[in-house]
Formats: sequence, structure tokens, C-alpha cells
Amino acid sequence: MTRLVEVPAHFDDRSFDQFAGAFAEASRDDERLLFDAHAAEWASPYGLVGLLAAGQAARRPGSGAAAERPLLTAPTNPEVLSYWARAGFFREAGELFEIHGKVPRVKAAEESEVLLPVTSVRAAEDVHAVVSKIQQRASAILASELSLDPKATMGFAMALSEACQNIVEHAGTGGWVAVQAYNWRRKLARRVVVIAVADAGVGFRHSLEPTQNKRFGDRWGDAAALEAALVQGVSRFRDPGRGQGLAGIRRYLVRWAGKIAIRSGTARIAIVPPWDDDVPLKDGLPPFPGAQVLIIIPEQGSAER
Amino acid sequence: MIQYIDMHAVLQESISGVYADLVTRPTGRVVRERIERAIAGRGGGEVTVARMDFTGVGCMDYSCADEIVAKLLRDRPAVLVLSGITDGHREAIEPVLSGHGLAALLERADGTLEGLGAAAAAAALLDELVARRLAARMPGGTYALTLA
Repeated sequence: MTRLVEVPAHFDDRSFDQFAGAFAEASRDDERLLFDAHAAEWASPYGLVGLLAAGQAARRPGSGAAAERPLLTAPTNPEVLSYWARAGFFREAGELFEIHGKVPRVKAAEESEVLLPVTSVRAAEDVHAVVSKIQQRASAILASELSLDPKATMGFAMALSEACQNIVEHAGTGGWVAVQAYNWRRKLARRVVVIAVADAGVGFRHSLEPTQNKRFGDRWGDAAALEAALVQGVSRFRDPGRGQGLAGIRRYLVRWAGKIAIRSGTARIAIVPPWDDDVPLKDGLPPFPGAQVLIIIPEQGSAER
Repeated sequence: MIQYIDMHAVLQESISGVYADLVTRPTGRVVRERIERAIAGRGGGEVTVARMDFTGVGCMDYSCADEIVAKLLRDRPAVLVLSGITDGHREAIEPVLSGHGLAALLERADGTLEGLGAAAAAAALLDELVARRLAARMPGGTYALTLA
């Protein structure tokens, strides 16, 4: 029997919990999953890498019949389909899903809005490749389109590197990253650059449990783990120099009025800039494996630095 | 004696040679271990003084800044003079040093030295270099390496 997981028509960080809920419900009895994206109208980089993480989780060995690749029905809208292809989604999805529907054979984009197509990250070498590529592609766009100081380009690459390393060092499995620039009408009516990183690994709670569980006592859980990592700079390693990565990302985002949100397990934490009305911490969300990171850097100008 | 370390060359020897960025913990670890081997036994009982030239290095992330610069300073008494530093490199190194009460010296393009990291620790580094006649006070109150 196959269980259906509907992909939201507008698939981004806001609709992700709806997706996670459907995923959790359908995963209960270890049946094969069908991710239905046929009606998809739009997906953010966060949605695309999140869908890959779901595909990764759904084909884990040892999960009974779901050890087969899950199914995915591709979007039927040609424009959406073309965009998903240009964003590099199908290049990665082909290994994870049995895809139904016509998938266009286009290369991942080298167009201005896709700064980094969906790219797999498994090892330090992959992070080197991502950082190298983003510096070539992003410098001009960050300066010209977002009016960021050229100094900010290096910080952007650093933030991207640290976000990707989170997968390599903590997930226990591979993950994906995508970077894109677009007009964000919903919140800001200006351009933004978005970094989305997702994996279906062990998640923050599991990663930090051996060193932090006792410290938090009854409060220990996904929310406490996210708070420890992002707010307190705690790492699972006892090395005193660890925990620099997320702290560094936070410093960079404060300077450029950016936002970071991390979802792991049943919780989501965000450092919320003045232009956003997101909540800092949510708990009790539908469970979803691994960690999903969203970083948004807005066009400078009216935003305070 | 001041030991010269070409960071770009060490990076190229440490990884495949394709990339010019000091990013990721594993890369930082390999680079630091090469530097440690290079400076081992050179001190003759004195505090190690090394001039690390970052010319040609692209991006440096916080993990690499900690793994290389901070760990070199945490694990042994040393004076690290960093040259060829960009604003981006500085952005990664400075908070990592400050967070641990550590300091290094930054050699500006004009040759003058500036403390990077914890102020008290940076002043002690300058004192060490002056005492060993490796740096001297310049007109205007700045410091520069004597053998630069």
C-alpha cells in the first residue's frame, strides 16, 4: 500500500509544517510514500531542499517496505516544472525518488536568480566547492542587487560555509543546500537572497543530547537543543572553540538585518529581524527528521544595519 | 627568528589544490598540523614567532579561524603576526580570538602592527616582540617588525 504526502501548492518555510504533518502521518505504518507535487505552483529553495530531505528519510534502510525509493509525482505546470529543473531539484531527486511525470532535461541554471542550484553536501570537499562557486556567482549580485557592501560578500560565503558544515559535522548523513535571489513581495517588497539547507539526519536534539541533556533536565527536547545551539553557541564537541559557526552566522545577520530560522524535530527557532513578525521559538510542531536551516538577507537601503 | 608561513601554499599542499578558501574544520585541522610541524623545534626554548601571510587566500570561515589561528595560540605560547589579511579574514579571526581571550598581531600594508583579539593579550605580544628586538616602536607610537 502507498501513503500519500501532499506537497503544498506554495511550498516554503511557512507551509513546511503542513508538509511535515502529512509526512509524519503517512510515515507511521512504514508503507511506501507517494509525494504528490502535481499541483505545485511555487516552491522556495527551502521547500525544494526540504522535499529532498523527506525523500531521503522515506527511503532509509530498515524502514520496512519504504526501503524502496518513495514515489514523486512531478508538477504538471510546465513553468513550475521548468523552474524546479533549473533550480537543480530533479538532478538530486532522481536518486531519491521514483519520479512520475515528464521531467525536462535542462541543466541546473546559470541564471542570475539561482546563485547556487540545489547541491548535495556530504563532506568537507563539498563545502569547499559550494563556497568557491558562490563567490564566483554571488559577489556581483550581492553588491548590485542587494546593495550590500562588498565586504558582506565574504561574510555571506562564511555564513554559507558554516551552515553547510552543520550537515557534515552533525547530521550523520548528507544534505542539500540551495541559494537564490528573488523579489520578496510577501514581506518586504524588495529583493532578498535566501540560503536553504536541509538534511534528514539525526537533528540537533540527538546531536547535543550526550552533553546537554542533564544541563536542561526536564526542559530537554528539540526546542531546548535549538536554543542551546543557536542562542548559547553550544556544540556537541567538548573542544572550547566549537560552536563558532552559528554564532558567526548570527553576527553576520544582525549586521545586515538578516534572518535565520532552524527547524529540527518538533521545534523551530528564529532570530527575527525588525522587518519580520515570525515567532522566536515554536515547539510541538509535526516531527520531521534532521535539520532545516533558512537564512534570508534583504536588500539594504531602508533596512537598518 | 621569525618564521614565515605562506598560508596559500600550505592550503594548496593540504587539499587538492583546486580551492583557495580556508573553510571547514577538516581543512583547518590539516593546515594547522602542517604549520605545527613547520614550527616544531624552531623556538629553541623561546616563544614561537611566526608571520603568517594570507595573501591569495579567498574566504576564511569561523571554523577555520578557530581551528588554525586560535588553536595554534591555545596549544603553545606563540606570537602570530598575520599579514595579507582582508576584511573578510579579519571578520572571521577577530571574534574567535576575542572569545577566548587570545590575540594575534596584524601587520598592515604599511608594515605597522595592530592587535587583533583581546587587547591585554595583544599588548603582551608587542612587548614580547620588542623585548626580543623583533619589533620596534616607530615615530607616531606605532610598532613595526624590525626585519620586515
